[in-house]
Amino acid sequence: MFRLSLKMTLARKGRLLLTSLAIILGTSFLSGTTIFSDTINSTFDRLFTDVFRDVDAYVRSTDSVDTGFGEQRAPSPIEALDIILGVDGVSAAVGDMQSYARVVGKDGQPLGEDQGPPTFGGIASESVAGLWNVDSGRLPVGSGEVMLDRATAEAGKFVVGDKVRVNALSGSREFTLVGVANYGDISSPGGATFALFDQPTASEFLLKPGFVDAFLVQGDGTLSDEELAEAIDAALPKSAKLETLTGAEITEETTSQIKTVLGFFTAFLTAFSFIALGIGCFVIYNVFSITAAQRQRESALLRAIGASRRQVTISLLVEALIVGLLGSIIGFVSGIGLSRLLSALLNAVGLEIPTTGLTIATNAVTRIVLIGTIITVLSAILPALRSGRVPPLAAMRDTALDTVPKLGRRIVVGLILIALGAIGLLAALNGARVAILGLGVLGVFAGVLVIGPAISKPVAMLLGKPVAGLRGVTGSMSRQNAARNPKRTARTAAPVLIGVALVTAFTALAASVKNEIRETIGASFRGDFALSVNSRGFGGIPTSVTDKIKDLPEVDQATGVGFIAAKVGDESPFILVFDPKTAGGLYEFEMIEGAQTDLGDDEILVETDKAIEKNLVVGSSVQITLIDGSSKQLKVAGTYKNAYGNYAVSRELFADSTSPLFDSFVYIRVASGVDDDAAQKAISTVSSDLGIGTLESRDAYIDSQAAQVDQFLALIYGLLFLSVIIAIVGIIITLLLSVFERKREIGLLRAVGMTRSQVRMMVRWESVITSLFGAVTGVVLGILTGIVIVVSLNDAGFSAFTLPIANTVTILIGAFIIGVVAAVFPAWRATRTEIISAIASA
Amino acid sequence: MNQVPESKNVAARAESASKIYGSGENEVRALDNVTVSFERGKFSAIMGPSGSGKSTLMHSLAGLDALTSGKVFIGDVDLSTLNDKEITKLRREKVGFVFQSFNLIPTLDAYENITLPLSLGKRGGDEAWITKVIDTISLADRLEHRPSELSGGQQQRVAVARALATRPEIIFADEPTGNLDSKSGTDILTFMRRAVTELGQTIVMVTHDAVSASYADRIVFLSDGHVAGEMSNPSPEKVLEYLKHLGD
Repeated sequence: MFRLSLKMTLARKGRLLLTSLAIILGTSFLSGTTIFSDTINSTFDRLFTDVFRDVDAYVRSTDSVDTGFGEQRAPSPIEALDIILGVDGVSAAVGDMQSYARVVGKDGQPLGEDQGPPTFGGIASESVAGLWNVDSGRLPVGSGEVMLDRATAEAGKFVVGDKVRVNALSGSREFTLVGVANYGDISSPGGATFALFDQPTASEFLLKPGFVDAFLVQGDGTLSDEELAEAIDAALPKSAKLETLTGAEITEETTSQIKTVLGFFTAFLTAFSFIALGIGCFVIYNVFSITAAQRQRESALLRAIGASRRQVTISLLVEALIVGLLGSIIGFVSGIGLSRLLSALLNAVGLEIPTTGLTIATNAVTRIVLIGTIITVLSAILPALRSGRVPPLAAMRDTALDTVPKLGRRIVVGLILIALGAIGLLAALNGARVAILGLGVLGVFAGVLVIGPAISKPVAMLLGKPVAGLRGVTGSMSRQNAARNPKRTARTAAPVLIGVALVTAFTALAASVKNEIRETIGASFRGDFALSVNSRGFGGIPTSVTDKIKDLPEVDQATGVGFIAAKVGDESPFILVFDPKTAGGLYEFEMIEGAQTDLGDDEILVETDKAIEKNLVVGSSVQITLIDGSSKQLKVAGTYKNAYGNYAVSRELFADSTSPLFDSFVYIRVASGVDDDAAQKAISTVSSDLGIGTLESRDAYIDSQAAQVDQFLALIYGLLFLSVIIAIVGIIITLLLSVFERKREIGLLRAVGMTRSQVRMMVRWESVITSLFGAVTGVVLGILTGIVIVVSLNDAGFSAFTLPIANTVTILIGAFIIGVVAAVFPAWRATRTEIISAIASA
Repeated sequence: MNQVPESKNVAARAESASKIYGSGENEVRALDNVTVSFERGKFSAIMGPSGSGKSTLMHSLAGLDALTSGKVFIGDVDLSTLNDKEITKLRREKVGFVFQSFNLIPTLDAYENITLPLSLGKRGGDEAWITKVIDTISLADRLEHRPSELSGGQQQRVAVARALATRPEIIFADEPTGNLDSKSGTDILTFMRRAVTELGQTIVMVTHDAVSASYADRIVFLSDGHVAGEMSNPSPEKVLEYLKHLGD
């Protein structure tokens, strides 16, 4: 029996191809994201192994704050270097720094991407323990000289002797380029940019005089790395609060930190690849159902000549196994190309992630082929069982119109499943486990599958009405064809439905978030201009620049807002830092209780929901620990809502701290009597002309802040695009099978006078109606999901929901185009129907 | 033997029509230099054993199949001069079809099936004519039923009505009673007879059944791709007698 089904499978090449296409697409995305993730991970692995290759020990501060998005550590005093150099077994040691520094290009624009790889400032040293090798020129000496990594120098077309402007914590300065360096053997690690100085300049310009981030140590070979680290630890006084790691440990730690950050991202990718795979399942299930129905005769014949039910069922499952295995393998291979495409896509939306080479893990191959094969076989189980139930000598009647009994029950069961799924989704949004999210998605999908056949006929008839009116009997047949197999139509439209529902839900969510951003900024920011950076908590606008703006005669008032990592109670959030002295009337919190003015350096403001969660009221005491380990008790002075961050403190709190404090936004009010253009020009000379921040008018600033959501949305659209492709392929496959199945009908139509273009039109409109059915139901489901999510995430309730009308219209037009595109090939096939043989195939 | 009637009285004709399948040793001559014509306003039958070429002749005359050599005409139109679109239009307007089975589009009701060729041509039919046709097949009360809700006999009657709807030059019927019980078969044959006698239509029917053939005005016998003979005003007995000697 196995050999028989193998033979039968291979004999039907067309069917084999169509079925495997769905599997190939489904698995290729999973394979693409897996290979992509593995590649980034191993790129970073290799990078840091390379970077710390010559580092035997690493000395750093014991104080740190882990924000969940990477760790921020206190600086170490440079005096410790002498102690380290004095330890037996140490041959060389050097201060190391990786602080924020942005190199400004010759065109006045800062080099590197705002959201791209980090832009570092560091120390160039002649010590062998340093990480840099001089490529050309020499090492920088003194406060006027800088060295660049080779990639950055090339990108900015800088040559030795040029003036280079660099922006860092203590402001914007111009240096003379005296040399170009390589990082180990490579020109730049992971696309980051580096501006390198001698140690005193680096400390003073990038951090704080007399401090570095850490020390790199090289042994003389007499001690093992572990012994060396122990020896250094023993030599350092306890009061210095320093610790020593071996080279292997720091490599390990750095890599795993990067991986944690990337983990969020790859998990996100994986989630979308599973959505694509789930959509692929619909297509696979649909293809098996249709072909199982079409081979009823074959199955009946097998039964008649003595095959048992089980054997018929198994023969179909064997086919599924073969197709699944084949499709998954091809899918895995095509995923390699897809991973490249994914890099390009992320680059296009501004999320550049360095990848070198290609990492294909053996277990990834096994896992993906296994997943692909298993879902194929699972998708085939129902159709296979149905096919086994075919009685021997089953009536050879034509596949006519099938009906869906128990409509009411389907609707009820479907709605219950969707509701349960939605509850799962909500629970996941509120922090339940990922498994719940998976079950939620599964519930919604299953509900759609159950409910689809019940509504597909009436909805398709409704959607087809104008087509019938417009295209006469041809349109009327399209409409009837779209409605004649409700189950098939529902299954074919399901991928479109799910894709559209997701797009709609995300779009609705994004529109609502954008609105909220606008309202939040609109309510708190009262000035005329805003200077902003988009630097994700690393670097920003030097506070000295904020002060300079404030002092401009064209400016009436200017105040900076920044974010910094700190421990508050048992959490390590980014907290908002503002200047209560200058903020009044320009940057206003929406206070619930208390006031923001006169906030002292021993006080803190708390977001109102957070206050309730943490049981804080005005007057409560909160412990805050800064990165440098200094700890303070703060008194809650008020509660607010609608601002970035759950805690807000005064800038004064950091006056004596070594925590590098930048502003992310500077809000500006123009002095009365000064026109906006003049003010903008004046502000630019101390900020954006030097490559610091983006200066925008109030309206433009609010627009661009809200537009950041679009970047995220673009990424989601991009990821959902593959689902759209699978949906199109699903429609193509179904149409092809339907055209094949209705061969006689098409032959008859041609015989009684239907022209080829009418045949084409008939198939095309059926496709459009099917696609629109998916889109319309998807939009409804998506809007409902969007409402549920927005309402559950937002205190404002339903009023916070914004219906994305323009996007919805775009989606429907898109579905129309999908329908037309998907019909091209099947319609062509239909016009090629041989009339005689079609009629003769009784 | 083949007395060719006056051209204006001819609804369809074939001139030296040959249809060859395959080549070399596998060559099959389905039609071998056949010249035959069918008179307007008559009920003609084509008879012959399986493989005699009767279906091929009908398909070629109807423009469903192209000849290897020779010509076929519907009225005065030489089909070999037409492209696919023109032939389709000709089938829609000048030719009616009744097949052995699967004559109707399952998604359309009886009335829509009857008027299908008219709707495809986007032209209104002659309402009075269609009403007359529907009356003749006595299915006025079943017009809104889908084919699956009609019996085999009723389905064939709808098919005949569809063939008549455009008042075509000629109607081709391929074993129209082949799938029916004898009562329904008789109904259909009687109905076709009336369409010719009372409505003045032209019908060419392919059959291998002597009783069916006896409803025709004239029978053309085919054998091995040749015209083997013909008979006017046949009766079942005469036909059976003729067939007995056809193989001789």
